[in-house]
Amino acid sequence: MASSVSTAQERPSGAPPPERERARSRELSESALGRVFMAPSLLAMTLVALFPILYALFLSFFEFVGREQRGFAGLGNYAAQLTDPRYWDAVRVTFTFTVAAVALEFLIGLGFALLMNQAFLGRGVTRATILIPWVIPTVISAQIWFFMLNITPGFINAALGLGDFNWLGQRPWALISLILADVWKTAPFVALLLLAGLQTIPGDMYEAARVDGASAWQRFTSITLPLLRPAIFVALLFRTVDSLRIYDLPKVMTNGANGTETLSILVQNYIVDQPNPGIGSTLATLTFILVLGVGLIFISLIGRNLVIGEE
Amino acid sequence: MKSRRHVLATLAVLTLLSTACSGSSPEDSTGGGGEGEQGGGELVWAIGGAEAAVGGLHQQVTELWNEQNPDSPVRIEILPDAADEQRNQQALVLQAQDSEFDLLGMDVIWTGEYATNGWVASFEEERGQLEDAGVLPGALESAQWEEELWAVPYNSNAGLFYYRTDLIEAAPTTWDEAVEVCTAGAEEAGIAPFVGQGAQYEGMVVNFLEYLFGAEGQLINEEGTESLLLEGDAGRQALEFMVQSQADGFYAPGFNTMQENEAVAEFQSGSAACMRNWPSFYAQLVGEGEQAASSEVQDSTGVTTLPTFVDEGTTGVTGGFNIGVNAFSENVDAAKEFAVWAGTNEEAQLLLAGGSLPPVIASAYDELPEGDPTLGLVGDVLADEKTGSRPPAPTWNAISQAIQQNIFAAYNGEVPVEEALTTLNDEINTALGG
Amino acid sequence: MTTAPAPTGESVRRAEPATRRRQGRSTGPVARDTAGRRIGKSALLLVIFLWCLFPFVWLISTSLKNSTGALNSPNIFEGPFGLQNYVAVFEQDFFFNLRNSAIVAGTTMVVCIVIGSFAAYALARLRFKNKVLLLSGVLAVSLFPPVALVPPLYEVWRTIGLLNTYPGLYIPYIAFNLPLTIFILVTFFGTIPQEMEEAARVDGASPFQAFYRVVLPLAAPGVFAAAILIFVYAWNEFLLASTFAPRDLAVQTVPVAIASFTGAVAFQRPIGSITAACVIVTIPMIILVLIFQRRIIAGLTAGGVKG
Repeated sequence: MASSVSTAQERPSGAPPPERERARSRELSESALGRVFMAPSLLAMTLVALFPILYALFLSFFEFVGREQRGFAGLGNYAAQLTDPRYWDAVRVTFTFTVAAVALEFLIGLGFALLMNQAFLGRGVTRATILIPWVIPTVISAQIWFFMLNITPGFINAALGLGDFNWLGQRPWALISLILADVWKTAPFVALLLLAGLQTIPGDMYEAARVDGASAWQRFTSITLPLLRPAIFVALLFRTVDSLRIYDLPKVMTNGANGTETLSILVQNYIVDQPNPGIGSTLATLTFILVLGVGLIFISLIGRNLVIGEE
Repeated sequence: MKSRRHVLATLAVLTLLSTACSGSSPEDSTGGGGEGEQGGGELVWAIGGAEAAVGGLHQQVTELWNEQNPDSPVRIEILPDAADEQRNQQALVLQAQDSEFDLLGMDVIWTGEYATNGWVASFEEERGQLEDAGVLPGALESAQWEEELWAVPYNSNAGLFYYRTDLIEAAPTTWDEAVEVCTAGAEEAGIAPFVGQGAQYEGMVVNFLEYLFGAEGQLINEEGTESLLLEGDAGRQALEFMVQSQADGFYAPGFNTMQENEAVAEFQSGSAACMRNWPSFYAQLVGEGEQAASSEVQDSTGVTTLPTFVDEGTTGVTGGFNIGVNAFSENVDAAKEFAVWAGTNEEAQLLLAGGSLPPVIASAYDELPEGDPTLGLVGDVLADEKTGSRPPAPTWNAISQAIQQNIFAAYNGEVPVEEALTTLNDEINTALGG
Repeated sequence: MTTAPAPTGESVRRAEPATRRRQGRSTGPVARDTAGRRIGKSALLLVIFLWCLFPFVWLISTSLKNSTGALNSPNIFEGPFGLQNYVAVFEQDFFFNLRNSAIVAGTTMVVCIVIGSFAAYALARLRFKNKVLLLSGVLAVSLFPPVALVPPLYEVWRTIGLLNTYPGLYIPYIAFNLPLTIFILVTFFGTIPQEMEEAARVDGASPFQAFYRVVLPLAAPGVFAAAILIFVYAWNEFLLASTFAPRDLAVQTVPVAIASFTGAVAFQRPIGSITAACVIVTIPMIILVLIFQRRIIAGLTAGGVKG
């Protein structure tokens, strides 16, 4: 310390003291290092995603009839969609599905994770079993659930003795069937992330708490849940944005009938089936804004501190 | 420093990976035959479906052609099974104006779209040739748009009425009769009266149009500019029949989630008395072959043409495939020759008939192979005046969607008949007007 | 880092590697050995097994039946069983599709983890401006409906000549999976206290060595979890694969191949082949998961904290 004081006295008046100088140069290299570390990822993402996103945005401002461009429409496509009841139905269906599915996935996934975290005979097999639904391709799992739930031949109906219950052919059971199939398939995703999160909690904390006389529930709510928040955040965020864009499941199971037409089905309809690139891109952009909005709300409410750290 | 070394290592790995651009394929190991460059005159036919597989009917047709035309052989490029996927893959190539495909297996409803986009070559010059060869007028209609011929009909299709011969004595000729005998027969056996295609998809549109045409109605006018749904009583009659059937239980429970496969599964396991389905399912219901091994109605399946509402003749909605020629192909003339040949050559068409694919030339129906009653029935359907087709308008998908949404809602009792028809009429006009 | 002595009257501990406790690894709550709990737990396990496996059992049973008869009756255990569907699937050169999927998914996973870890480390540890903006941008990339991105991407790929190539598939996969990878890794890096790295730096390690030797091993659970998720995504992805490599067996992946199975005649759904292919496809995935799940729990025991 003394040396720096004496050197400070010897320095010309305008120059900063050497400690601060060293600190700033360390900061600069850290910043540069940060840029270098981020560069490959940013490069990959920009190269692939930026041009198509901008192109889709661009198309949404034009009017199309079939594949033919008919002229500049400005915000006309957006106005048309935002006043279309079919669009708002799709939004409602999508949000209902997302809230229900994510909530259930979280609860069941948490349960799975806590179970998988335990030491017991056959835990390896149990963990693998729990993860099986996740590894089956989405289209296939959608077909599996269709065949099981559909009234003909009625596997689930026969197994549960439900007779002729029309799971997929009536509201609201069609949507409930979708939620069921989605929860079955993706609860393992949540479980996996939460399990990894559970692994980062030191066992000593449980020990100390038990010594202090805390009950299992108290240990769960005061130790597990708070320390699991980062993993919960990631799991919820990505499950939410994925559910908002669900496509394969409703397409294969109900083709959007009986109150299951989600936003992505609407988008796909206009981009691929009809096609109408103008309306399709408009719907894609609206979906994007919606999903991004939800994602950003998530980040700002829960994630900011967790992710950015000591900033 | 270490970080730089690691970065370099990563880049090296990446470069290595990228050079392994693609793996080997079966053709490679057999000595670079197959793929490679197109030979001087080789034509590529992009078609999908069950018959496009190796050894299937379409390949037999190309083998027949290749024998006689060794300088412009046709090779099949197999597309996915679902018609929508086939259209997507063709559209990707055609939109890029690529010459990868020369010949296109076109579903009958794509003609207008392909024509308007300038993707296919015109066959107007060959029209006389086709008419002389006896191509059925209905089939020809599906290959034209705005009075110009854009493809050659290759095979046709039409729905038929299957019924249980052990429960129903005489095949019904009107829908009222059908309701009567099917319900009676079903009650006897404790099963459902009728299965068809009632899920919200294209198949339901076909079912609805069969009712509409059977009531002597039409969907749109000849020029393709206006909807005729509200003309006369046909539309109302058709839709009300559907509403009634669903409410009364003529339609089996679960009718509104059934596609072709669900319907046939019900019928073949003996759970339905009557069924509307395509001719191709006959083989899996009847007979000694391996196909019918799981059928429980092998000896009790009868098949006839669809009933109508007017007690006269029959009706149907034509399906099938046409052959179009890629406008950007490098071998347009040779490709057109093959297309015309495949659609008019008697031997080729009889090959199709032998495999239970309904042919498109009249003379083939005079020499049908034995053992398959469905082809003769399809011939009757195609000859009837009331039989129509789904208009191959460029905006057909929009029209189909409108029909799906409105008719499905109506027959399930969610929307009144009048309202559904009016909305549908408006939406069709919008789709055509653009 | 020593554990507190177990109070008397506590339940029996199961044996766990002592090293893991030393590193502060969680071993999970200890099981109490009462009979009631054991029955309860067995019942719970049974329910979970049924819930997870019932559809899979249906899948296997259907794959052993004839396509045309598989859906005749709602009885899973009925019907003639045979391996004809499996034979048929492999006759369609399914090996090539399995190989292609393995290469594409494997490459995607490795590259994503590598470059994602760098980015995640930067976001979690290094100081520089606009982190939130970058994070939001990273997230945004993966949110645009992929179906809308496919037509322009196809044009670009066609012009560059990346159609029907491995890079044509794994480059977009990497781009679309980086956001999830980065998010997972950032949160896991964030849970590791800074003191660990400072200790390593005091010992003379460079920032990169500190990252590589200290942070990465402790974040291993997150890394392996992310790895599985990326692999499964790339393995099962259909939209991009069917657009960029639809028919060429040199590159065609498994989901696209399954979509091209046909029945014997028009309109027939080849449910037998589809389910058989799905079972074939799931087995390597299960093996992979069995291996990786141990990694997620065990972490890397080498390296770790010094002193």
